[in-house]
Amino acid sequence: MMGRCTLHIALLVCFSTSALAVSYKLLGFQLRSSSLECQELLLKLNGTSKYCLKDRMNFEIPEEITKSQPFQKEEAILVILEIFQKIFDIFSRNISSTGWNETTVENLLATLHWQKEHLETILEEIMEEENFTWDNATLLHLKKYYLRIVRYLKAKEYSTCAWTVVQAEVLRDFFFLDRLINFLQN
Amino acid sequence: MFSLLGATTLVLVAGAPWTLPAAVGGINLKSPQNVEVHIIDDTFTLSWNRSDLAVGNVTFSADYQVPRNDTWLKLPGCQSITSTKCNFSSLKLNIYEEVKLRIRAEKGNDTSPWHNVDAFTPFEKAQIGPPKVHLEAEDKAIKINISPPGAKDGIMWALDSSSFTYSLAIWKNSSSAEVRTKTVYPRDKIYQLSPETTYCLKVRARLLPRKIGAYSPVHCIKTTVENKLPPPENIRIDAKNDIYVLKWDYAYENVTFQAQWLHAYFRKIPGSESGKWRQISDCANVKTTQCVIPQNTFQKGIYLIRVQASDGNTTSVWSKDKRFDPQLQSVLAPPVINMKSTNDVSLRVYISAPEESENKSVNQHYSVIYEIVFWENISNAERKTLEKRTDLTFPNLKPLTVYCAKARALTADERWNKSSIFSDPVCEKTKAGNTSKTWLIAGICVALLSIPVVSYVLKLLLRCIRYVFFPSSKPPSTIHEYLSEPPLRNLLLFTSEEQTERCFIIENTNILTAVEEPDQAGEDHKKYNSQTSQDSGNYSNEDESNGSKCGEDFPQEEAE
Repeated sequence: MMGRCTLHIALLVCFSTSALAVSYKLLGFQLRSSSLECQELLLKLNGTSKYCLKDRMNFEIPEEITKSQPFQKEEAILVILEIFQKIFDIFSRNISSTGWNETTVENLLATLHWQKEHLETILEEIMEEENFTWDNATLLHLKKYYLRIVRYLKAKEYSTCAWTVVQAEVLRDFFFLDRLINFLQN
Repeated sequence: MFSLLGATTLVLVAGAPWTLPAAVGGINLKSPQNVEVHIIDDTFTLSWNRSDLAVGNVTFSADYQVPRNDTWLKLPGCQSITSTKCNFSSLKLNIYEEVKLRIRAEKGNDTSPWHNVDAFTPFEKAQIGPPKVHLEAEDKAIKINISPPGAKDGIMWALDSSSFTYSLAIWKNSSSAEVRTKTVYPRDKIYQLSPETTYCLKVRARLLPRKIGAYSPVHCIKTTVENKLPPPENIRIDAKNDIYVLKWDYAYENVTFQAQWLHAYFRKIPGSESGKWRQISDCANVKTTQCVIPQNTFQKGIYLIRVQASDGNTTSVWSKDKRFDPQLQSVLAPPVINMKSTNDVSLRVYISAPEESENKSVNQHYSVIYEIVFWENISNAERKTLEKRTDLTFPNLKPLTVYCAKARALTADERWNKSSIFSDPVCEKTKAGNTSKTWLIAGICVALLSIPVVSYVLKLLLRCIRYVFFPSSKPPSTIHEYLSEPPLRNLLLFTSEEQTERCFIIENTNILTAVEEPDQAGEDHKKYNSQTSQDSGNYSNEDESNGSKCGEDFPQEEAE
C-alpha cells in the first residue's frame, strides 16, 4: 500500500515537472517571438541623429545581465518579467515630443503588455506551486538601472535626444533579454 | 579644628569638578532600545523605546550612512527628538541601495553609546500602503478608478506603478452580506450587481513577486435606478477562416448597436482612457446582434471590446468589456487521446497536442489544461476531471469491461475562457483481474512441473503391469550370462541338430606312433583342449580334424 502510494506520488511529481518543463519550452518560444517583434517595432521608430551623440550616457546595466551568469529557470522568469515591466513603464511615459508614429508605439506597448500578462500568469502559478527562493540582488540592481534611465529622461525633460538615447539603450536590453531566454531552454 | 574644616572644604571644592562629572556622565544615559524602521509607501519612520524611565530633557538623534560614503551624516527629521518616533521621509535616498542607521540618546552634553540598526534596503523593507479609490455608480455596475498607493510623485513605487495588481472585496451593505473578491484593473467595472442597492468595497494592491499591501478604507455607494435600455450581454468572438464574428445577446428589438475596441494596456497606465476607445467600423449601427470583422484589424496584443445599444433617443450603458486575444482566438484544436489497458485492471490515458493544421493552431503556445470525460460504455455514468497532466491512469476499474474517454483543451487562465471541441471518444477493454491472473500463472506452473512427475509415475505403473500380466520369456540375467557359451547354449536351447563330425581315417602306424608321442607332449595340448572344452567327445574330433595337420606340424612344434 505504501509502495503504491509513493509510486503514485512519484509519478505525479514526474509528470507535473514534465508538464512545467513543456510550458517552459513553449514560454521560451513565445518570449523569443515577442522580443523579436519589440525589437522590430523599436527599430521602426526613427531615431539616431548625430545631434544626439552628446547626450549619450552610460546607464551601467547590471553585470548579472551582461555576463552570462547562469540563472535558475524561475529566477530567469522573474528577471525577464522585470525587464518587460520596466520597458513598458518607460515607453508609457510622455512620448509626444519625439514625433514617433503613434501606432508603432501603441503596437510596441501592446506587445510588451501581452507578454507581461502571460509572464505574470505563469509566475503566479509558480508562486503557488513551488516555494522557491531567489536572490533579490539581481532584481534590485535591475531596478536601480531603470531608475537611472527614468531619472535621465526626467532630467532631460523628455527631449527627443533623450528618447533617442533611451531607445538605443532599450534595444541593447533586448539583446541581453534574448540571452536570458536561453536559460529557460535547459 | 578650623584648619581641619578648612582643609575638608578645600578638598571638597577641589574634588568637586572631578566627582560631579563622574556622577552624571555614563551612568544614566543608555542607548535607546527596540529600534525599528517602518516604511509605508514614501513615509520613512524610525521608532524606539526609551531605556531610562522618566528622565527629563533626554533627546534622541540619528545618523545615516550610504555604501559609497564612509562618513555618518545627520538624518534629517531625526535630530534632537523628544518623543520616541521620527520621520525622515525628506531624505532622498536611493531606495534600491542599502542604508545604515544609528541612534543615540542625548542630554545636554552627554550622550549614550550609539545603537546601530542593521543595514537594510528601503525598497525591500517598504510595505504597500492603501490605494486610493474613486467610485461611480451605474444601474447594475460600479465603475472604479484606483490610484496607485503612495504620492503621485513618490519615489518608492515610481517604476512599479503600472505593475500593481489590485484585488477588491465587495459586499452588500446588509447584515448577511457575502463578500466577493476579485482581481480588478485600475480602471474597471464591477458587474452583476442589483440596481438601487448600497454596496461597500475595499481594495488592496499587490506587487509581484511577494508584496501585498494594506486594504484601503471601506467605500460605500448606491447603484442607480435601472436603465430603460439594458446593455448587450454575453459578448463572444469566434474566429472563422480570415474573419472574426462578434456576437452578443439582446432582449429587445428595433435597436442599433455599435462596437468599440481598446488596447487592454491602457487600463494599466495612469490617465484617462476615454479618448482611446476606437470604433469598429464594421460594427457601426448594425441592426443584428452580430457583426463581422476582418482579421487584420487586430494585431498581436490584448484588446477589450464593448458594445452599446441605441434606440434613437436613448443609449444604453456600455456592455461589459470582453477581453480578446487574437492569438488565442484562432483555434483551440481538440487534443489527441489514446488509451491503453494496464495489467492491474486500470486504463492509462495519453493526451497529446493536436497536429499542426493549416489553421495555425496557436493553442500550444498557451498553458492549456484538459477536461477528460470518462465513462463505462454500458452504464453511461460519466466522470469528469480537469487535468494539466498528459499521462494519467484511472485505477480500480472493473475487469473485462469496456470504458470510453474523450478530452478537450481549455485555457488554464480563466480570463480567456476558451475551449476546444471534444475529441473523438476512444474505448478500451480492461484486462482480466489480478486474482484470476495469478491463478492462471500458478496453474501453468503447476502443470509444467507435474508433467515429468506424472510421466515417471506412469512409467512405473506400466512396468508393474507388464511384469504382472505380460512376463517376459527371457531367463533372469544371471542365468543368461551363465549360458552365454555357444555349445551349451546349443545344447539347451536348440533341439539337437545332428552334428556331423568330420572323420579322418589315419592308417599309417608310423604316423600313429609319431602322433602318440606328441600325444604325451600333446597331452598338454589335449588337456589344454579338454580344459577349454569340457566335453571329451568333441575335443577329439576337433583334435582329429586338426590332427592330420597337426601331425605334420607337431615335429615342427617339438623342434621348437
